[in-house]
Parts: sequence; C-alpha cells; structure tokens
Amino acid sequence: MAVNPGDADADELPSMLWGLDPDFSAYSRLYITDILQMKESRQVPGAYFYKTHPIFKVDVLGTVVYKREREDFYCYGVDDSTGVINCLCWKDEKCSDHGGSTKCKDPSGSSRGFNIEDELKRLTEAEQKSTVLEIGDLLRVRGTVKTSRDAREISATSSYKVNDPVMAVHISRMLEMPQLYRKCYDQPFQMPRDDLGGTEAGGSSRYHYLLSRSVLTLKEFFLEKEVARFRPYDVEFLLHPLIQSSSESDQPGTSFATQIRNLLKETLSVLQDEGQIFRKIQTQDEVYNVTEQDKDLHTEIKDVLREDTKREKYAEKGCHVLHILSSVRQGYSQNLSQEMLEVALTFLECNSDITSTTEAHYTVL
Amino acid sequence: MLPPPAVFHFLWEINTDLVKDGASVRTYGRLISYKPEGSKAVLSGQQSSAQCHVSVQTTLVEPFQPTLGAQYFVLGEIEKTDGLTGVILHARALSNVDGVDLTLMQKAIREQRCFFKKRIPEINEQAPHCEPSYVKKL
Repeated sequence: MAVNPGDADADELPSMLWGLDPDFSAYSRLYITDILQMKESRQVPGAYFYKTHPIFKVDVLGTVVYKREREDFYCYGVDDSTGVINCLCWKDEKCSDHGGSTKCKDPSGSSRGFNIEDELKRLTEAEQKSTVLEIGDLLRVRGTVKTSRDAREISATSSYKVNDPVMAVHISRMLEMPQLYRKCYDQPFQMPRDDLGGTEAGGSSRYHYLLSRSVLTLKEFFLEKEVARFRPYDVEFLLHPLIQSSSESDQPGTSFATQIRNLLKETLSVLQDEGQIFRKIQTQDEVYNVTEQDKDLHTEIKDVLREDTKREKYAEKGCHVLHILSSVRQGYSQNLSQEMLEVALTFLECNSDITSTTEAHYTVL
Repeated sequence: MLPPPAVFHFLWEINTDLVKDGASVRTYGRLISYKPEGSKAVLSGQQSSAQCHVSVQTTLVEPFQPTLGAQYFVLGEIEKTDGLTGVILHARALSNVDGVDLTLMQKAIREQRCFFKKRIPEINEQAPHCEPSYVKKL
C-alpha cells in the first residue's frame, strides 16, 4: 500500500509528548484483537499505537485456552472472544523455596494464639493457588506488550485467577469496554490546554508541540530521502502542513510565511544543538550537512582512527573522543561540535565500522 | 499453535447458518441431561417462547460435577453433521455458572456486538438487530 511519506510522518505523536497522554501511563483495557493488530511505534521499539494513543501496558481478562509450563514461567493463552494472546506469567521464586521447607504446625492446637509462620505459609499457598491455572479458568493479566518472533505477547507484571461463579466479572467487563473505547481510546489525543492565560503562556505548550513535531518530521525526511546536504528552503515545505493544521495562529498578526520561517529557524537550531546537522563552512550561503549521511565526514573519522591507532600511544586503548574531535576539526571542518562528532561516531559504531573500547575511546575495526 | 478466539453466541443461533461448521464459540445454557457413558450433555436455552437444544460433547472437560437444571458456560468448536444428530459443540471449557443474571448477560453480549458492528461497518458479521441500551434509556 503506497503511503504518502508526508502523511506518515505527521501520524505518530512525538515521543517527548507521550507522557501527556493518560492512556500511556495506564494499563489500557483493550480488546485482544486490537492489541494484536496495533502498530509498533517507529520512534521507540516496545511502544505501540492504538489510533492516536501510545500504548505499552495493557490489562486483559479472558479464558485460559492454552497452557505451557516452563522452569521460570507459565505461558497462558488467553481468549477474550475477540482474539487469543500468549501471556507470560513469571513464577515467584520465593514460593518455590517455601514448598521445600518442612511444615512446622503446632500439634497441641494452633487455634490458640496467632502463629505468624503458619499464617505466612497459608498466605503463600493462597498466592500460589491464584497464579496456577487450568484450561477454562478466568485469568486477569496486567503487563507490558512485547513482540517476540513476530508474535505479540504480554509479559505479566501481575496476574491472578478470577473467581467468577456467576459471571459477574465477565459481564461487567463486556459492558465496560465499549464505554472505555468511546470515551478514551477512540477519542483522538488532545494536547492539554495551558490554562495560565495570556497568549504567551497559552501558546507555549502548543508551540513546543509544534517544534517537537517539526524536528521529528525533518529527521525522518533526512533518513528516508538519504539527504546529505540541504539548504533551509529545500525543507521548508515539510513544515507547511504543521502550521496549517494548528487552528489558531501562535502570534496573531504574523503572516504564514513569517511563522514558517520562525519555526524553521528554531527547528534547525534544535537539530544543530543535538548534533544532527552542522554547517561545514560558515558562509553567506546557508548549507547544512546531515551528520549521519555525510560520507566525507565518516571517511575522515575512519582515516584519523586508522592512522592514529597505528601509533603505539593509541594502539591498545584507541583514541579519545576529544582527540578525534581536534583531528577532524583540523582535517575537515572547524565548525564541528562534540555533539555532532558523537552522533557520527554512534552511527559508525552501529554500522560496525568502528568500535568503542571504553565509554570515550574509539578504534577502527 | 493457539486456538482461534471463541466468539459469543446465543444458544438459538448455533443451530442456524450464523455459525459455520468448525467455528469456535462460547455460549451458555441450562443443563437438562447428561450421559457419562457417551460423554454427551444437552444444554437448553429460551428465546421468546421457543426452546432450543444443543448437544455438547464433554470428553475434554471430564470429570465434572453435573448439576441438572443449573446454568453452564461452555466454550468449544461446532461440528455440523447432516445426519440426525444435528449440531454438536465439542467443549474445551465448561463451568457451572448457576445464578448468572441472564438478562444482564444478554444485554452485555448485544452491546458488545453493537459496538463491534459500528467499528467495522464493511464486515457485517451477525445480522441480529442491535439497539444499544444506552440509547433506550434516553
């Protein structure tokens, strides 16, 4: 299915803002079919999106239809009538130790007094009973969603068998879920309004949101199109949909063009501070290099490492980041900052071109 | 490896074309007979004034304590034979749920179905007439 890259980029909420969505921090009660189908986030592996909401923790209730026991955990297949998912319920190590110890019941009648050891033992046994289930039992699981070998599963943080003799729990869950979907999960995520009043304060949270959105858009554009160098007006068009979609103007009285220019300036400044882009030569012509795509920079770094690690001084430990920085500055560009170098070094390390010997030393492979 | 999800159906729907051969279902009904030799049980349900029966094969869920006249919840696969036996439900899970509020149960199932139908309008699964109860209250 051909997807317009512009739309796809605007789809996901930037990860910096996920904490603002209450559904992200709560154990979301989604139908298992939705848990199985929700797409994985492009920004952070391990997080998923149901419509506009970032999700990584869920709460399911269903019938156990499959059971597998391993040394450390039970794997229960849970069916809630919309889908079936594997839930990994870890065994409690404390319980297994207790089982080995000898029973020390007081034969003269433990009804007199409160024997703490017996009570603790009874508590542990009750806990164990509630976590070992058979097929047909009702299980409640709260845990994180994981994808392992192309299959989604839930790694339980807590799970227990539900005693439901008249199906009251089952029924109330069935009644509650559509309400939750209507009120929360199917509602599009809204940025919380800043109620401090005044355009300045009121606009700041929205502007911050816009800025993080535009930074993300540009980063994804560089990656997708493998952009090595660009000028600001080359990427201006990417910010148009962001300004158009914001309902009120941030600074009333300013034109669309001015807003775009301001946003672009801020965005480029943020990207420079992060080290993602840099200006090789400070001229009137504003040309930016994209750190991860600049092959000349990578070659320069590798050459520096190759030459210097031949020397006895650096042979074993590798070169320190600051040493590499000063060498590359001399050989390539005076405008290189440490952040930019670190971005390039991390990229090269991920590509297995170089390796780090300590946290700040690198050597060539 | 995992079995398919068992969709909720009413007992009277199982005998109709709404439920296909081999489908995984969950349903509930009153236990009116049980033959341990053949592992056969019969559940009965009532819609309006009509009674309907479904045979349940209980091989996989034995032994269980049968209480005639009690409501049971069952989950399993449907087998439709052309012969005299009609429809058989091969139970994978069976539990006594005597005391369940039948009206509330029906309402819950219908509301859930209504919700699913609205979500996926192009896949019109069940045709049962659906009226969300919250609309009625207004």
